Amino acid sequence: MCLNVLLDKFKEVLISVLPITVIVLILNFTLVPLGIPTLVRFLAGALLVAVGLTIFLIGVDLGITPVGKLMGTSLAKTNKIWIVVVSGVILGFFISIAEPDLHILAGQVDSVTNGIVSKWMLVAVVSVGIALLLAAGLMRIVMNIPLYKTLTMFYLIIFVLAFFSSPVFLAIAFDASGATTGALTVPFVLALAIGISALKKDSKASEKDSFGLVGIISAGAIMSVLAMSIIKRTDEISGTLDSSQYFTDSVIAPFLNILPDMARDSVIALLPMLVLFIIFQVISFRLNRKHFRAITMGFVYTFIGLTLFLTGVNAGFMDVGTIVGYGIAARGNTLLTVCIGFLLGVVTILAEPAVYVLTHQIEDVTSGYVNRKLVMSALAIGIGTAVAMSMLRIIIPGIKLWHYLLPGYIISIILSFFTPKLFVGIAFDSGGVASGPMTATFILAFAQGVADAIEGADVLADGFGMISMVAMTPLIALQILGLIYKAKSHKGGLTDDGKY
Amino acid sequence: MTGNIEGKTIELICVIVNCGHGSKVLKTARHYGVNGGTIFIGRGTVHNRLLEFLSLYDVRKEIVLMAAESSVAESAVETLNEEMHFDRPHHGIAFSMPITRIIGSRCISCESTSVRGENDMYNAIVTIVDKGRAEDVIEAAEKAGSTGGTIINARGAGVHETSKLFSMEIEPEKEIVLILANKESTDRIAESINESLKIDEPGKGIIFIQEVSKTYGLYKPDMN
Repeated sequence: MCLNVLLDKFKEVLISVLPITVIVLILNFTLVPLGIPTLVRFLAGALLVAVGLTIFLIGVDLGITPVGKLMGTSLAKTNKIWIVVVSGVILGFFISIAEPDLHILAGQVDSVTNGIVSKWMLVAVVSVGIALLLAAGLMRIVMNIPLYKTLTMFYLIIFVLAFFSSPVFLAIAFDASGATTGALTVPFVLALAIGISALKKDSKASEKDSFGLVGIISAGAIMSVLAMSIIKRTDEISGTLDSSQYFTDSVIAPFLNILPDMARDSVIALLPMLVLFIIFQVISFRLNRKHFRAITMGFVYTFIGLTLFLTGVNAGFMDVGTIVGYGIAARGNTLLTVCIGFLLGVVTILAEPAVYVLTHQIEDVTSGYVNRKLVMSALAIGIGTAVAMSMLRIIIPGIKLWHYLLPGYIISIILSFFTPKLFVGIAFDSGGVASGPMTATFILAFAQGVADAIEGADVLADGFGMISMVAMTPLIALQILGLIYKAKSHKGGLTDDGKY
Repeated sequence: MTGNIEGKTIELICVIVNCGHGSKVLKTARHYGVNGGTIFIGRGTVHNRLLEFLSLYDVRKEIVLMAAESSVAESAVETLNEEMHFDRPHHGIAFSMPITRIIGSRCISCESTSVRGENDMYNAIVTIVDKGRAEDVIEAAEKAGSTGGTIINARGAGVHETSKLFSMEIEPEKEIVLILANKESTDRIAESINESLKIDEPGKGIIFIQEVSKTYGLYKPDMN
């Protein structure tokens, strides 16, 4: 009778996966014919994504989020700063080191630098950065240090470091930060912050401190990679990346080939959280059986959902992205490429898992005051712009990544002084949130397809930096949304009771 | 607050619907003369063997509170009932209860004199407990014949509970459990909750019971 709980969720997810499917279908019948096998694979992929995402989100609600909140609360309740710091370091390190996206990126960096920056070194460096800043971020919440001050400080350090490091590493550093904040890390870190902030007596502080931790840890990854590049002094990347793309007419084989890998990735990514949960359960939570069971089930769902989702995206969406990118760019129409890029950016972000989690958390924490759909729209416009700008960068060789990143981050930091503080947190969080598995595969593949079709564009160098753009534009888009909220929320005829 | 108009009573309308419908409820109600309302998020319970096995027993709900003068309230709830189909299962519930005084609403400014609902079949049992215990409350209530409840996250502190962690002042997290029950089973349910959570002991929480004048959309065991 009431499986409608599941159905509601599925409908919600379907609505967010539908736009990208429709756009690709339209493109297929107009500009870029995909061929039957690829098209069928894409549709099968879309179905897997929808089902996987539904299960994943239920799992996150049931398992990851409660564990994060409980950990946050119990850490704060110890009332000992060293426990918070040590736990922050441990949590951050293990979550980051288990992130599959980071390993993929590190593998690529390893091969393009001819092993000067080895895979494990990059993974370790990023993880240390995440660990330290997670601890710092937790400390910020318990010590009541304003988020915008913390972020300004960290980004100043980043600017100084960036000044001394090579442009290539700039791209790698920003990409690494996008890669570590994946589909699992984000919900967990969000929940951690909410768990601590929920205790606060001042409900406005509690609301705004619930966000921003993801933004802080993103800065950690950037800082650590830049610092490494200065120490290592590697300026050039010369190697080539053997493109692992294979085009096949088979429909089912790619899914089956990739499934075990995705399952392994999901297990590895979940493992640290599961282990920490069990440790905490023994020493601190002591949940009753019903509760414990619910969380365990949550982990199982998360695993199943994530595996299906990743399989769908990697087997169904990846080649489509490349083919569409190549097909569009080969027409030689810059405007068309930029427009399609914008459109794909907008629809891709809707199907990004962590975006879902973030927007729901926002509604929960603000009791629906900050509307989900508005946040979603602002994000979509931001990502669309990011992709469109990246297309321009690929097509016009004169534009370098830092031409975008530097002004972008300066604007974000300046905005953070004027924007309602709740939105500062939300904006910096959504930067990490937007650069999830969907963007990292589909949009990246699209960009590489475009670069492939354009003479003089380097598939590899132009591919790096894509994620950093996607992580940067939401900062601006959402802070502007915050300013609009501030301007509009004055009640007519009544005095503003100081929501901020 | 001086204007004491004889015979004019105020009702508090409480509507519990699935997440996302709260704004629609408020809009409809305002269309029918209610001046405004407050929306917040809660959790409802589900009864289904399969879902329980899958540990999917929480559903997000939105709760809308609106105060209005009796006649307005009645017509508003009536229309809401028609539009939102509370009579069908899983479409939400609505109830109203008499309140004695309202301050701060410019349009309804009267002190009510006679507070007697027409239909006093139901009571609302409100239990406030420490975070994490709400499920236990619902379980205890169900043992005594209740058909479910709604959980609302809250914060609060008793006399000896405020404290400070690091440099943040904190208030312990609480959960509010709202249960509707008919007259006969109210005492039994309250007693069952009291027994299993030892509400009587200091620091364990509080229960209070409020009369409800009208209900829509309640699940009645004898109907199935």
